[in-house]
Amino acid sequence: MAGRIVVSAMGIISALGRGAAAHLEALRVGQSGLRLPRHLDTIYAQEYLMGEVRPGNDELSALLGLPAGNNGYTRTTLLALVAMNELVQATGIDTLAQEPLAFINANTVGGMCSVENMYMDFIAGDTPEEYKKYIDTLDCAESTLNIARFFGLKPFMATISTACSSSANALILGARMIQQGLVKRAVCGGCDSLSRFTINGFASLKNVSKTACRPFDRDRSGLNLGEGAGYLLLEREEDALARGAQILAVLTGYSNSNDAYHPTAPSPDGSAALRTMERALQKAKLAPTDIDYINAHGTATDSNDAAEGKAIERLFGAGAVFSSTKPFTGHTLAAAGAIEAIFSIWALQHNTVLPNLNFNAAPADVLIRPATATNHREMNHVLSNSFGFGGNNVSLIFSKA
Amino acid sequence: MMKPAYILSASAISPQHTFERGQLLQPIMSSNNGRLYVVDADYRQYINPVAIRRMSKVIKMGISTAMNALQQAGIACPDAIITGTGMGSMLDMERFLKDMIQLEEEALNPTFFIQSTYNSINGWIALQTKCNGYNQTFVHRGHSLELSLLDAQLLLTEAETTQTVLAGCFDEMTEEYFFIKNKIGYWKHDIPDSRNLLQHSDTPGTIGGEGAAFFTLTNQPAGALCSIQEIKLYQDAETSEVQTGMLQLLANHGLQPADIDLLLCGMNGDARQQPLYQMAMDVLPSSAVGAFKQLTGEYATASGFALWLAAEVFRTQQVPAPVLYKGTAPARVRHILLVNHYITGNASLVLLRGNQQP
Repeated sequence: MAGRIVVSAMGIISALGRGAAAHLEALRVGQSGLRLPRHLDTIYAQEYLMGEVRPGNDELSALLGLPAGNNGYTRTTLLALVAMNELVQATGIDTLAQEPLAFINANTVGGMCSVENMYMDFIAGDTPEEYKKYIDTLDCAESTLNIARFFGLKPFMATISTACSSSANALILGARMIQQGLVKRAVCGGCDSLSRFTINGFASLKNVSKTACRPFDRDRSGLNLGEGAGYLLLEREEDALARGAQILAVLTGYSNSNDAYHPTAPSPDGSAALRTMERALQKAKLAPTDIDYINAHGTATDSNDAAEGKAIERLFGAGAVFSSTKPFTGHTLAAAGAIEAIFSIWALQHNTVLPNLNFNAAPADVLIRPATATNHREMNHVLSNSFGFGGNNVSLIFSKA
Repeated sequence: MMKPAYILSASAISPQHTFERGQLLQPIMSSNNGRLYVVDADYRQYINPVAIRRMSKVIKMGISTAMNALQQAGIACPDAIITGTGMGSMLDMERFLKDMIQLEEEALNPTFFIQSTYNSINGWIALQTKCNGYNQTFVHRGHSLELSLLDAQLLLTEAETTQTVLAGCFDEMTEEYFFIKNKIGYWKHDIPDSRNLLQHSDTPGTIGGEGAAFFTLTNQPAGALCSIQEIKLYQDAETSEVQTGMLQLLANHGLQPADIDLLLCGMNGDARQQPLYQMAMDVLPSSAVGAFKQLTGEYATASGFALWLAAEVFRTQQVPAPVLYKGTAPARVRHILLVNHYITGNASLVLLRGNQQP
């Protein structure tokens, strides 16, 4: 069909590893990436499991041919560069450089991972010279600009920050810009690194779990934070075919809507999550029965899973096939939408339901059950949810080409 | 090409008198300490009285301008809410960060954390208007507002029915932000009176500022103040590249240089950015030139003030004297070109057309 927007390349890094092969293997065998953090310096490091990416900053820098130490790149940007490098290698830099490109990036706290270690020096009379290059790294666009510069690209750029739905929104914007003919291709995704700021923010809200999170379980006790980056290349189907690219999936539906209920909590009856998924189905011209697998937001907080679970049950019925992959990666915040879009596309490609780790029993009033094992299932359409603070909800639907 | 986005209403809180009707830029507010702070409005008129007690200033001014813009247009609930901000609620971020360091990660107040998230104002506006529609926040330095306007234009181009979008921006100046950015050359070493900022355009640096501005936009011309015809964005561009873009912009819309009645420039007194604005004036030699950062200071979304000002100029068909930088005020204003540049290499062009009756 003419005018369809397809995904034709991807790049990813998370606590599960670097690149497609490492992720697919971990997902296949059900190996979680959660651990006590070794790089993040926090009072929670000895107690709280997190989805920390294994390489430290110097190792990430080495992968990119950058010098070790305070090289001006934040961990957020280093993660993004590694993920982006996979996409660039798969696509070829010329394809990205020579025709109108949008780079829509997403992020929640910018280079806070660096700034939080230097801030008292920033506000003191003297700032060490090697810290000064981090003064302009606090905002979300820092990673966006540095990624483009690193690869020598001059694309249309935008940085989105809608909390945990940020990179899902990046995908929507990229698709819309291609549809209107503003650009030919769009690289869309997001990045976030663990920071003391974020872990303390979520801890002050009392929704962080020390142990591995248990999405949709009766005894769930909160989320694990994670870090990572994921990027997807979007283009028109005919443009992908013309350059001989493999089509990984079609982005057939999407929806962005706001809960308008509470600054941090979802509407408890799940009506907002329901509305978001329904609108994505309408956009895709699909019925709930067409969806073969749902990659849920499933943070394992009480409020998210209660609301999202009700919405899934209402829309897809008691037999809904769904799981949350947060126990693999932790909640990677602005990267989560893109990382889980990639997971959803893999599920679709391999006709494989991804397991919801750590689920034992559902709450008494809930009929739906997440998939707990890696099951084969023929798939044509999958749906991925990303719901955030501020009531920012997004659903994406990917279909086979 | 995208359809025009028609501006129905505009609201701004700024270091000048811009919020209350009837005192347009009078009297001129100024400072001589290198930064300008907003003239506070009566925020209680626009915000839930329970919620307002914990809100920091930027949140209050963001919500108030948003609600005021909606009220002016008679819109209770827009179809979409899109914002842009360079730094979000800096003060909340600073508070949470310093508490975290000084209290060694114990006993932290979650309110500062929640409010420091860049999309918190969007959430509040959605909550106050019960808007379940499209909701988006751009955090992209000196293009933050422009991206929100571009997204609004995209939504309105896609729409098959009449739709309204609330789009706007907010940023605040804090003492620590001013102090820190001074270390990397944002501000002038010898601080002039803000009113004389542009007379010191031979030295590097500018003065800091803050503000919020919101707009209601629609895809129908009825009742509009003006329309956004096209937006062009540049990062780290050579002046010649922006010049080519200006000429393309004119050509795209069938305009001659003389058709631009007012060139509204974001010159900020920094010698390093003067060549861009000089180029713009050279491309449009017969246009009147306006400038505004002597009134607002520099911040990532200062162009929100410029767009509000442009809407006022279209509405009143007058260019306020404190704004006029070069030439004489045009008798009739049909086209305004905004040219802005922010410190971090973000340049933008926004072509506006008045909504004159045939």
